[in-house]
Amino acid sequence: MPEIAPDPILAASEIPIPSAPTPEGYQVRLDVFEGPLDLLLFLIRKKKIDIHDIPIAAITRNYLEYLNRKTEINLDREAEFLFVAALLIYIKSQMLLPRETDLAEHEDPRLVLVNRLLEYQKIKAACSLLREREDIQILQWKRNFVPPLRGESELEPVELSLFDLSESFFLMMKRRSADETRTIRGRDVSVEVKMKELVGLLRERHMFDFLEYFEANASLEEALVSFFCILELVKSRVAVAVQDELFQTIRVWLRKDAHRTDHHE
Amino acid sequence: MNSPLKNIVESLIFVSQEPLTLERIQAVLEDVPAADIQAAVDELIADTAADGRGVQIIHVGGGWLFSTKPAFDREVRRLLQIERKNRLSSAGLETLAAIAYRQPVTQAEVSAIRGVDSTSSLKTLLEKGLIKIVGRKKAPGNPLVYRTSGEFLLYLGLNGLDELPSEEEIAKILQEDKAADA
Repeated sequence: MPEIAPDPILAASEIPIPSAPTPEGYQVRLDVFEGPLDLLLFLIRKKKIDIHDIPIAAITRNYLEYLNRKTEINLDREAEFLFVAALLIYIKSQMLLPRETDLAEHEDPRLVLVNRLLEYQKIKAACSLLREREDIQILQWKRNFVPPLRGESELEPVELSLFDLSESFFLMMKRRSADETRTIRGRDVSVEVKMKELVGLLRERHMFDFLEYFEANASLEEALVSFFCILELVKSRVAVAVQDELFQTIRVWLRKDAHRTDHHE
Repeated sequence: MNSPLKNIVESLIFVSQEPLTLERIQAVLEDVPAADIQAAVDELIADTAADGRGVQIIHVGGGWLFSTKPAFDREVRRLLQIERKNRLSSAGLETLAAIAYRQPVTQAEVSAIRGVDSTSSLKTLLEKGLIKIVGRKKAPGNPLVYRTSGEFLLYLGLNGLDELPSEEEIAKILQEDKAADA
């Protein structure tokens, strides 16, 4: 992803043509525009149109012209652009309807669109100011941003969030999916059984390595169940999961207090 | 002034990993008036801003913090083995701006403002710690509600949300754009 799209207004006198299609889902955005509102704002600026008095027919034509130039169809992104196309046509149809009395200003069917465009335009303008701030701040290193130096100092375990835990899990899933697919063996793994197994393992070994353990799992289903178990164990405060550094493996161990209460029971 | 107070304040800011607020300094130096602390900090800021220093004290996130000077970014990155500090993508920044100005907001509201599905941008911002989930909205589907985090203020060098670019500043940018077109 490029950091900033080149300013469409300065870069092109014509509407930009989509770059060579790629299999990824971003090409619409990458052809300069963030989305349909961005494209509309571009057309409005280029044609020097007053945003409060948009000639809907003309702008719709321009807008559809742009959509037609695209060679590849990407449903997700396309839908957002088509939604606005539909909105434009709907607005035009509302304006064409014969009415007994002239519409008051606040009843202008274009108002919905205009308000959205104005709001989006503000956000975009704010973005350029925020980007300036970011560019300054990014050069000033603060101590809280400094990542630990690699290969030095002992690593302090940090508490990790659910996101980190899932991240590791998906990393594992990815590795697993790279393996050749095999026939699925019919073996049911229940959360209950797995949980007992995990607690047993923790008692015996005191601690285990998250990724290592899952790699040893026979099937995806089993790995999935194990993952749920870990989450459940952490949630019910039976186990603790710790990760030294982002993207590294996660170690799991039994809480000492949980151990004790278990003995009492 | 080369008072012990200034030196004490400097050492407090030095050990603090998050912005050190006036209140927290006051809590440590019980009977020192706030005005004196403020004066000491002002002097420290002026001192460190001068040439001849590699670090400076900055006012950010509602408190004070040591940071390196921008001129030494390259060397610092080399030490930390960071090739290039990644800026936010334009989609990411747009999403962040929409949240900053309209918070508390849901994913659907952010997407509506941008006209583009913002789910993945939100996820990235959450991972970076620039936004946080503050609860659920009492609406159909109970969608998650997002706000910007303290980290967000640090990231953009702000002291509070009231320091976000104002309506007037934004209007000025839009005026300039218009002028450039004409």
